[in-house]
Amino acid sequence: MTPERLELPQGTLDLLILRTLALEPMHGWAISERLQQISHHALQVPQGSLYPALHRLERQGSIKAHWAASENNRRAKYYQLTRVGLKQLEAETAAWRKLTATVSLVLDEA
Amino acid sequence: MLSGLTHRFRALFRRKAVDQEMDEELAYHLDREAEKYRRQGVSNNEAIRLARMSLRGVEQSRQECREARGTKSLEILGQDVRYGLRMLRKTPGVTFLILLSLAIGIGANTALFSVTNTLLLRPLPYPHPDRLALLWLRSPGIGIPQDWPSPGQYHDIRTQNHVFDQTAILIDESFALGGMSKSMKVDAIEASSSFLPMLGAQPLLGRVFLPAEDHPGKGNNVVLTYGFWKDVFGGAPGVLGRSLELNGKTYTVVGVLERDFRLNREAIPTIGGIDKPQIFLPLPMDSGDETNYGPEDFNILARLKPGVTPQQAQADIDRIATRLRIEKHRDPSFTISVVPLMEQVVGNIRGSLLILFGAVGFVLLIACTNVANLLLSRATARQKEIAVRSALGAGRRRVIRQLLTESLMLSLAGGAAGLAIAAASLKTIRTMHPGNIPRLDELGMDYRVFAFAFATSVLTGIAFGLLPALRVARVDLNTMLKAGSRGAQQGGLSIRRDRLRGVLVIAELAISLPLLVGAGLLVRSFMRILDVPPGFNPDHVVSMQLSAEGVKYQDHAQRVEFYNTLEQRVRQLPGVTAEGVVTALPLTPAVGWGEVDVEGYVAPPNQPEIQVDQRLASVDYFRAMQIPLAEGRWFTPDDMGKNASVIVDEKMAHFFWPHSEALGKHVRNSSKDPWLTVVGVVGVVKEYGLNEDTRMVMYRPNFGSTAYLVARTASDPAAMADTIAAQVREIDPEVPVYNIATMDQRLKDSMARQRFSMTMLAAFAVFAVVLAAVGLFGVMAYLVEQGTGEIAIRMALGAQRNSVLRMILRQGILLACAGIALGLAGAALLTRLMASLLYHVSAYDMATFAAVALLLLAIAVTACVFPALKAMRVEPMQALRVD
Repeated sequence: MTPERLELPQGTLDLLILRTLALEPMHGWAISERLQQISHHALQVPQGSLYPALHRLERQGSIKAHWAASENNRRAKYYQLTRVGLKQLEAETAAWRKLTATVSLVLDEA
Repeated sequence: MLSGLTHRFRALFRRKAVDQEMDEELAYHLDREAEKYRRQGVSNNEAIRLARMSLRGVEQSRQECREARGTKSLEILGQDVRYGLRMLRKTPGVTFLILLSLAIGIGANTALFSVTNTLLLRPLPYPHPDRLALLWLRSPGIGIPQDWPSPGQYHDIRTQNHVFDQTAILIDESFALGGMSKSMKVDAIEASSSFLPMLGAQPLLGRVFLPAEDHPGKGNNVVLTYGFWKDVFGGAPGVLGRSLELNGKTYTVVGVLERDFRLNREAIPTIGGIDKPQIFLPLPMDSGDETNYGPEDFNILARLKPGVTPQQAQADIDRIATRLRIEKHRDPSFTISVVPLMEQVVGNIRGSLLILFGAVGFVLLIACTNVANLLLSRATARQKEIAVRSALGAGRRRVIRQLLTESLMLSLAGGAAGLAIAAASLKTIRTMHPGNIPRLDELGMDYRVFAFAFATSVLTGIAFGLLPALRVARVDLNTMLKAGSRGAQQGGLSIRRDRLRGVLVIAELAISLPLLVGAGLLVRSFMRILDVPPGFNPDHVVSMQLSAEGVKYQDHAQRVEFYNTLEQRVRQLPGVTAEGVVTALPLTPAVGWGEVDVEGYVAPPNQPEIQVDQRLASVDYFRAMQIPLAEGRWFTPDDMGKNASVIVDEKMAHFFWPHSEALGKHVRNSSKDPWLTVVGVVGVVKEYGLNEDTRMVMYRPNFGSTAYLVARTASDPAAMADTIAAQVREIDPEVPVYNIATMDQRLKDSMARQRFSMTMLAAFAVFAVVLAAVGLFGVMAYLVEQGTGEIAIRMALGAQRNSVLRMILRQGILLACAGIALGLAGAALLTRLMASLLYHVSAYDMATFAAVALLLLAIAVTACVFPALKAMRVEPMQALRVD
C-alpha cells in the first residue's frame, strides 16, 4: 500500500469525474483507474461512491451514457460529457482554482 | 432538465430494465477489478473479495445508485399506492361506503358548480359584456316594479348622459310572413343602427344597418339571422337584394348575421315577449319621436364608457330621471335604473344559487365527516399493524404519508365517480328544464368544472384523511404491542372512551338538520303557492297565440270578422266545450297596462297615479277560462267592438267603490276617450304567477291584433291544438299560430324556478340525512363490536338483555339529541338567509322545525336499533371464549 493516500474532499468527486470524461467517453472502471493513475495513486478514489455519483450526474444531465463494446470486447456502459456537463466543468474548475488559490494565499500570508 | 425528467421516468417505469443495466455495470466493474488483482498475482477468491470490498459492498452501492436516480419518493408513492390498494380491497364494505359518500358529496358539488359556472362565471357572448346595461323605468310606489322606457326618454338619456359611450333603442314586433307556402310568424327586433354592433353582431353576408337608416325614408331593409336565412332561404348565397313580405309590406334583405350571434329574451326582455328575434329591422325616428314620452314600450341598451362603474352610471342617470320626474309629473317613486346585462340575465337566480351552494357544501362536509369516521374505525383496527411498522423503523411522517396516500386515493376515486354523478345530474337538470332559469342551454362541463372537481377531491382527501392519520400516528408503541390481540382502545362500550367519533357524529347530525329544515321550508312554501287559486280553472284548457296583423287586418271590421268566424268554428268543434279570445293571457309574457280615469273618483292628495291592466276579451273568454262572475253580467255579442261596456275585476271594484256597487259606474282611459259602463265584476286572476301580486284589471269587449285563443276541451286538450290551428289556417293561411300550450303546462312552467330550488335542496337534504344516518350507524356498530367483551361480562354478571339494548340505544339517542339541538340552533341562524325564497312561510316556521327534529330523531333511532339488537344477542360464553 502506498503511504500518504489523500482523502477526497467533499464534492470534488463530481469535478474529477467530469474532468476525466472531458478527454473521452469512458466506462466506470476506467474512470476509477484513470483517476488513480493520474494522481499517481495519491488519491483514494472511493469506488463505492463512484457509481452513485455517475448516476446522479446522469440524472442531472451533465453526462449521458450508452452501451458499447469495451477494450476487452465486453459490453460496458460508457459515459460521456454533455454540453451541460462541459459548462459545469468549466464553472467548477474556475471555482476550484479560485478557492485553492485563496486558501493558499491565506495559508502563506497568515 | 428535460433529460433529467426522462431519465427519472425511465427509471420509474422501466425499473427492472434499469436495475438490470446497473447490475451489469457493477458486474463489469467487479470483473475488471478482480482481473487487475489477479494480474498482480492475487488468488482468484481473494481477488474477488478485494474487488467487492473496493465497491464498499455491492448491495449498498446498488441502493445508493437507486437513490441517486432520484426516484425514491416516487417509488415510495408506488409502494404506498400498492399497499393502500391492498388495504382497501381487504375491507370492501367500508371502501364502498367511503367511495359512495365521496362520490355523492363531490358529485353534488361539481354539478352545482357547473350550474354556477355556466350562469355566473361564463361571460355573456358579447364584446365587453361587463360594460353593457339595460335601462328600466321603475315606479314601485304605484305597483310598477319595472317598465319599458319611451323614445323621448331615450333621446334625453342619449343626449344628456356622461357615462355611456354607446346607446341603442329597440322594440320587438311580430310579423306574418307573406309570400311563402305556409303562414309563419316572424319575430323581429326593430333597433337603432348602434344596436347590432354593440352586441358584436357581424354580418356573414352584406351589412348591418347604417346610421342613416335611423331616419325615416331610407327604404325598408331587413337583416336576417343565420337561422332564419337557413330556414326560409335555404341558406341561399344570393339572398342579398331579395325581398321579404312582412304584414304585406315588402322589405329588402341587406345582410345576414354570423351563425354564432345569439340573442334571446333572457338578455333583453322586450315588451312583446318574443323569445329569439329572427330578423332585424331599422327603427327610424324623426324629431317628433325625441319628445314622444307616450309609448313606454322600448328597451334601451347602453354601453358604459371604459372605467365607469354601474354605480357611477346610475348616479348620472338618476340626475336625468329626477328632472324627468319633476317635468313630466311622474309619481315620487319614479326612477330609471341601470341594470348590468349580466345582472339582467342571472339577477334573481343568484340568491337561490348561493343558498344551494351553501347547502351542497354542507353535504360535502357531512360526507367528509362520514369518511373520516369510517377511516377512523379502520385506522383504529389497524393500530397494531401500524405499531409493528413503527417498531420496524417506519417514522411518524412515513406512517402519516402512507395513510394520507390512502385517503387521497379514495378521494380521487370518489371524485372520478363524482364527476360521473355530476354529468348524470346535469343531464337530469337539462331534462327538468326549469323554463325560466337563464342560460341553461349552455349548461355543461368545461375545464373549470374539472379543475373544481379535482381540487375538491384533493382537499377533501386531505381534510378527512388528516385527522385519522394524525391520531393513529400518535400511537404509543409499548401499550399497543403489549396489549392483547384486540388492541389498546378495545373493550369500551361507552362512547366517552372515543370522544372524537362521538363529536364527528354529532357534527354530522347538526349539519344535516339545517339542510332538512331548509328543504322543509321550501316544500311548505311550494305547497302554499300551489294552494293559491289562480282565479281560473287551468284543467283541460289549451291556448295558442295568433296574430291577425297583415295589411287586410288594418281594417278593424276585418279583424272582428276574422275572430268571429274563428270563434264560431272552434265552438262547433267536437270536444270543445267553450272557447274565447283575450289579448293578455295569464302566465304569458303578454302585458298591457295604462292609466284609468274613474268618474267621480278624486284621488287623495299625494296618491300616486293608478295603473290598471288593460285586456281585450271576447264574449266567451271568461266562461272558457271559468273565471267566476261576482256581479253583473258577461259581455254579449252586442258589446263586441263597441266602446261602451267594461268588465272589471274584484280588486278594482273594491278599490274604487268599496262601499257601493260597481255596476253602472263609468270609467275611461283618459279624458279623450268615451266613458265605459261597468257591466260586470269578475274574480281576480293571477296574471303574473301564483306568488305574484296582480294589478287591478279592466276587460274591454274587443279583439286585439295579436291575441290568445283558449279552448276548454272534453278530452286531452293538447291533442286539440292541431285541430284548432287547422281552423285558423282554413280561414286565413297567413295568420300564424304559435306559442301553443295547455294552461296546466303554463301554470307548471310558471313555478319552474321554485320547483327547481325545492327539488335540488330536497335532494341535498336527503343525501345529507342518509350520510348522517350511515355515520351514526357506523359508530354505533363499531361501539358494539368493540364492546362485545364488556357486554358479555355484564351479561355473565347477570345484566338483562333489555338493559344492554337500552344502554346502546341511550347512547345513540344522546348523540342524536346533541346533534339535533346544535342543528336547530344552526338552522335558526341560517334559514333567515332564505327568507326571500319563501312564500307565506316564516323562516322560523315552528311546525317545520319540530317535524324535522322528530324525523331526524326517528332516523337516528333506526340507525341505532340494529347495532343495539346485535348487542342484545351477544352470547356471553361464546364472546368470552374468543379471547
